[in-house]
Amino acid sequence: MNIETIWISTIRMSIPLTLAATGSIFCERAGIISLVLEGMMLSGAFAAVCGSYYTGSALAGVLCGILAGTLIGLLHGILSLRYKVNQVISGVGLNLLVTAVTTLSMQLLWGNRGNSPQVQGIPHFTGVLSGQSVMTFITLALTAGAWFVMMKTRYGLRLRLTGESPEAAQTLGLPVQKLKYSGVLVCGAFCGLAGAYLSLDHLNLFVREMTAGRGYIAYVVAIFGRYHPVGALLGALFFGFFDAFQISLQGKGLPPQLFVVLPYVVTILIITFAVKNIRQPDGLGKL
Amino acid sequence: MGEDAVSMRGISKRFGNVAAVDRTDFHIKKGEIHVLLGENGAGKTTLMKMLYGMIQPDEGEIFINGSLANIRSSKDAIGYGINMVHQHFMLAGYLTVAENVVAGWEPDNTRVFSYKNAVETVRRLGGQYHMEVNPERRVQELSVGNQQRVEILKALYREAEILIMDEPTAVLTPQESDELFNVLRRLKQEGKSIILITHKLKETLQIADRISVLRDGKITAYGIDPEKTDQEELAALMVGRNVELHIQRRSKKIGKTVYQISNLSLGENGGHKLDQIDLSLRKGEILGLAGIEGNGQTELIEVLCGLRKPGTGSLILNGRKMNSQAREFLGNGIGHIPEDRTTRGLVLSMSIEENLMLGYHHQSEFQKWGILRKKNNRLIAERLIKEYGVKARDGRLPVSALSGGNQQKVVIARVLHQDPDVLIAAQPTRGVDVGAMEYIHHMLLELRDKGKAILLISADLDEIRSLSDRIAVIYEGRIVSEKMSDAYTETELGLLMAGGTQ
Repeated sequence: MNIETIWISTIRMSIPLTLAATGSIFCERAGIISLVLEGMMLSGAFAAVCGSYYTGSALAGVLCGILAGTLIGLLHGILSLRYKVNQVISGVGLNLLVTAVTTLSMQLLWGNRGNSPQVQGIPHFTGVLSGQSVMTFITLALTAGAWFVMMKTRYGLRLRLTGESPEAAQTLGLPVQKLKYSGVLVCGAFCGLAGAYLSLDHLNLFVREMTAGRGYIAYVVAIFGRYHPVGALLGALFFGFFDAFQISLQGKGLPPQLFVVLPYVVTILIITFAVKNIRQPDGLGKL
Repeated sequence: MGEDAVSMRGISKRFGNVAAVDRTDFHIKKGEIHVLLGENGAGKTTLMKMLYGMIQPDEGEIFINGSLANIRSSKDAIGYGINMVHQHFMLAGYLTVAENVVAGWEPDNTRVFSYKNAVETVRRLGGQYHMEVNPERRVQELSVGNQQRVEILKALYREAEILIMDEPTAVLTPQESDELFNVLRRLKQEGKSIILITHKLKETLQIADRISVLRDGKITAYGIDPEKTDQEELAALMVGRNVELHIQRRSKKIGKTVYQISNLSLGENGGHKLDQIDLSLRKGEILGLAGIEGNGQTELIEVLCGLRKPGTGSLILNGRKMNSQAREFLGNGIGHIPEDRTTRGLVLSMSIEENLMLGYHHQSEFQKWGILRKKNNRLIAERLIKEYGVKARDGRLPVSALSGGNQQKVVIARVLHQDPDVLIAAQPTRGVDVGAMEYIHHMLLELRDKGKAILLISADLDEIRSLSDRIAVIYEGRIVSEKMSDAYTETELGLLMAGGTQ
């Protein structure tokens, strides 16, 4: 086991979690349950590969990913806010829909249901920062930006108020619906980016159901980080570490399945012992 | 004085076929406290929500300072200097006082929000109006009285000239109410106009400059001078008939002891919640328990109904020693009207029918072989609804659809249907309007005359004094005095309740 490889791999694993958890914070602080992260990420991962495949540009791919995540966000918003569907059901339903649609599309586009062809990926640094993805720094910048917007702007204050008490926001004459939509759309964009990272940063291809539950882990990370962007970053590093640790243990003679479950076991433990005392926004799931 | 600050003319609002407000005129002068009095469901809140732009009138016009106002939303209303403090506070508990006050109208008119600036602004505002609240505290950590201050600060921060207060004292202790009234009087001196919605008569006379009464969506009396009226007249205007406010009819025949409470003590966290309590509830007598809330009443009720095991002492009901098992207490003839009907008395989301048998559902009247006797239960419910005058279209409606007074009637109907020997009636008229209050008072007296033993616990001293045959005063978990109620003067009772000695 090499400390340096684990560290690098921890960072790599924590980037999508950080992004998705930060997105989740915008959604949940606006009072909408964000169990739709998984579907947003998966759609982002798929759309990013498509974008890159057709244009030959990783940047265009990433933009497609963001767009796809945002679209799922819009759907979740419409279902929850306009049609008042139970937000858990809407989220999980969309997750299933995205799984089906991406698998089907792969079959239609490439005649293969397992994975896509390789495409142009996100560039990595050379020189001093050799091996680090551009995305590492983009993620840090976005986390800082999210913190600023949430805690230090007028918009952030109004969003938080809306999520805690939509009735209060309404009596103050705030546009409650618009604010809620903004939260779920920002969430979609962040998750779309997280998905694009999954498919375009390393493998440079799309694999069926490649998010593998990371959307649900990110949901826990957001709570674990107390709905605070910096908390989410730390929480994501924590989970990312177990993921990296698990990978480094593979190929040591023991059955790999034993280690693959590690991050999920940690999630269960966190939910059982750490998360239950964390307060969720008062208006969560209410209309 | 000149023109009116607010003038609502010919206002109507219908919900379905029901006219909640019916062609009503209502005017407020600048710098007055105008009490809008009415029973629950009379349309007070609906009328004021229209002024605050939360709902739109079907017809009629609103003038602010003499000119026609176009109020389509709360935002418009705030623009006209109107603000409303709702009965259920509109606050985000997790956010701080400063954040709650400024949100939506932030101090620096930029996209960036300076929390420091907000804190400073709110602190200054609090100082200016003598309503200091720490702006950096989370709202959920504040007392109810202070949360209300935050609501008022929110309005003042938005430069409110017209302040609507919807049942502001419903959630306050008497001391907090007095403080609130002081604040309102100060605001009046600053030239603010205040509309206070309530159904409480005493406080109306205490605070109002003028009084208007709303009944069934219509103003039945406008601009009454509080000097020239009294509670009886106001109650009659509210209800539409004469109401007996202070029924006083002492028991003619007090019988033997039914429920004997001896040497009852209960410790908690090292201190005494109840300390050597001796009480006897006798047939045909109402024993009133007077005391400021929080002096052990809640614990005593819980012990007497078997919800809590006492530390020491004995409870003897009809010669039988009782042990803590709430079901045993109910089965042996103790009826319990709980202090808080919404948490202990009812399951709000369940139907009236179901609530009418809760706690007694295992009796053969309601079930056979473990299966509820649906048809039979429906008939019983229909009969009880009629007998106790619960205003409900259908027994299958959830209890949450009823007004407070009617909810309380459901609780009472359930308990009395079982014909208990002893009735523990805790705050039986809290939050109900005068019509229902009169009904409940009559019913308690009627029960007593039938020979039941009643323990009446109430925060309302007037209620205790008028209904009780005997009064015991509780202070810090001890019974500090007990005698026949006519032997007490009001001052004497007040003194005893505050811990003074005879």
